[in-house]
Amino acid sequence: MIRLVGVTKSYRVGDQVIPVLKGIDLEVGRGEFVTIMGPSGSGKSTLMHIVGLLDRPTSGDYELNGQPVLHLPSNHLARLRNQNIGFVFQNFHLIPRMSALRNVELPMVYAGVPRARRRDRAMELLEKVGMANRAHHLPNELSGGQRQRVAIARALANDPAVLLADEPTGALDQQTGAEILRLLQDLNASGRTVMVITHDPHVARAGRRILHMVDGEIVREEVRDESR
Amino acid sequence: MSLDEMIRMAFASLAANKTRAFLTMVGIWIGVASILAIVAIGNGGKAMVIGAISSGSERNVIQIVPRELVAPGLPQPGQVLSIDDSDLAIAASFSGVEAVNETFYGTAVVESGDKSDNVTLFAGPSDLNDLARFLVVRGRMFTAEDVLSHRNVAVISQSLANKLFGSGNPLGAVITLSGVPLEVVGVAQPEQASLYSFVMGSDNLYIPDTTCEDIFPNWTASEMDVVVKPGVDVSSLANRIVLALNIHAGDPSAFVDSSGLLASVSALVGKVTTILTAVIGAVAGIALVVGGVGVMNIMLVSVTERTQEIGIRVSLGAKKRDIITQFLVESMTITSLGGLAGIATGIAVSVGLRALTGIPASVPWPVGALSFVFSAVIGVICGLYPAVKAANLNPIDALRYE
Repeated sequence: MIRLVGVTKSYRVGDQVIPVLKGIDLEVGRGEFVTIMGPSGSGKSTLMHIVGLLDRPTSGDYELNGQPVLHLPSNHLARLRNQNIGFVFQNFHLIPRMSALRNVELPMVYAGVPRARRRDRAMELLEKVGMANRAHHLPNELSGGQRQRVAIARALANDPAVLLADEPTGALDQQTGAEILRLLQDLNASGRTVMVITHDPHVARAGRRILHMVDGEIVREEVRDESR
Repeated sequence: MSLDEMIRMAFASLAANKTRAFLTMVGIWIGVASILAIVAIGNGGKAMVIGAISSGSERNVIQIVPRELVAPGLPQPGQVLSIDDSDLAIAASFSGVEAVNETFYGTAVVESGDKSDNVTLFAGPSDLNDLARFLVVRGRMFTAEDVLSHRNVAVISQSLANKLFGSGNPLGAVITLSGVPLEVVGVAQPEQASLYSFVMGSDNLYIPDTTCEDIFPNWTASEMDVVVKPGVDVSSLANRIVLALNIHAGDPSAFVDSSGLLASVSALVGKVTTILTAVIGAVAGIALVVGGVGVMNIMLVSVTERTQEIGIRVSLGAKKRDIITQFLVESMTITSLGGLAGIATGIAVSVGLRALTGIPASVPWPVGALSFVFSAVIGVICGLYPAVKAANLNPIDALRYE
């Protein structure tokens, strides 16, 4: 499903080249729940941006669903992102002056889904994350946990194969965070590939596979038992 | 993304900042309104001035004058300075001519009691008021009967009446012209804004041509007024008569048709007003440009403010084209609404002006339609740079932007 080979990324600051990713090989199969754990500055967010097609690596190869994607023009990448990838961010990143419902509809707007179908689907998704009764509220009228639920509903809008979550519980209290993780696990249980990035070992334990990143490299892989 | 979806989105984000959107709109509003108002006033003024100058030029009288009277200067040897009986006979011989009258212009002195004044004397047939463009405001015009019987009657201009009689009643009073007593039967005022009122003095005396010939037997007519039968092509007949008179005088430019002169003056005035309107309109156009710069400025601010939103949209699968379109539609919405408000204001100004001053101000509909299109185009031009800037933001930096 996701296959990275020898992916590097470096930034140029003045005449210094700063390597952020130093040769990442990563394979994630359909339906897996993978967490990537590492301290800040380990390059895990950069990795997620590359997987999420928001950024291009300096070198290496990336195949999504068996298709090499790095040579594709940006419009094509936008469509792949729209159809195949759902983002969940630490700070929710809902658009402030749009209702929960409108936020969830947005990826379908860009996909060209007709209005009526879009609305139905968005309601359905809000129901799925337990937010149907808040559909017409603005983000600032919702609690952090509620916002993250709306954000997850939005990430699911076009039924993407992959959910990418960057510190999804980082801005939430422990109990709410646990609820959000459970929601992600449920989504994974119904067959969706989930990739979570975190610096928190408790969160990392939600995944079946835990990849430890340090200084732009995956240094250790841990596979947990079936037990939750 | 469909167009109605984009417009919906644009309205939603403008509604989020109503005051700002409105104030930005005002710039375009004022620009469009002032251009339309100026065009309306210019058009109205032009119509009024030309109407005044050429008023009556469609009447069925050809006014022929010796060229010397049109363009003063040293007469050439043999220059025709007046119209004599043989000229009148030539004009009268054309078919389509109903009658030929003479008009005399000259300066003279009139007296009343111990007062006297230098006046411009007009002598002519009983429709002299039509030819010399004045209205009898008190009393009456002298009649055909007066003319036929060589009666000693006179119509005097309001300002002459004031000079001779002050606030007293001039009607029935007797004035003396070159020792001959004349009864004042009417008081006249120039037709409003007619060319004659600009050219001619204001102390005027109007008498029958027959009476004038009695008083000044040596005067010769200064103008020939050819009355044309109904249904005859006036300008072609005028050309033929002038040609015949010129051949008779042995000078290709001895006579001219002075109504043709009026036409050329009014064409000139029309051109001048059009140029003036264009110049002032261009100045008003500066207001529109300033408004456009305001739109661009606000759109740039808006792009900066919504950097994170742009990042989010890109992460959700918005293409560059989607982002550009979003901002373009937003700025076009602002300027189009401003344009509509400006058109409404421009029309209101012209309607108000027409009601208050009688100037026939009007906004021609192509100008209105054009200014709407133009304001939308300003939206595109001024929105393009901010929109492209937004679309080219690095999505990762944009997402991190707080």
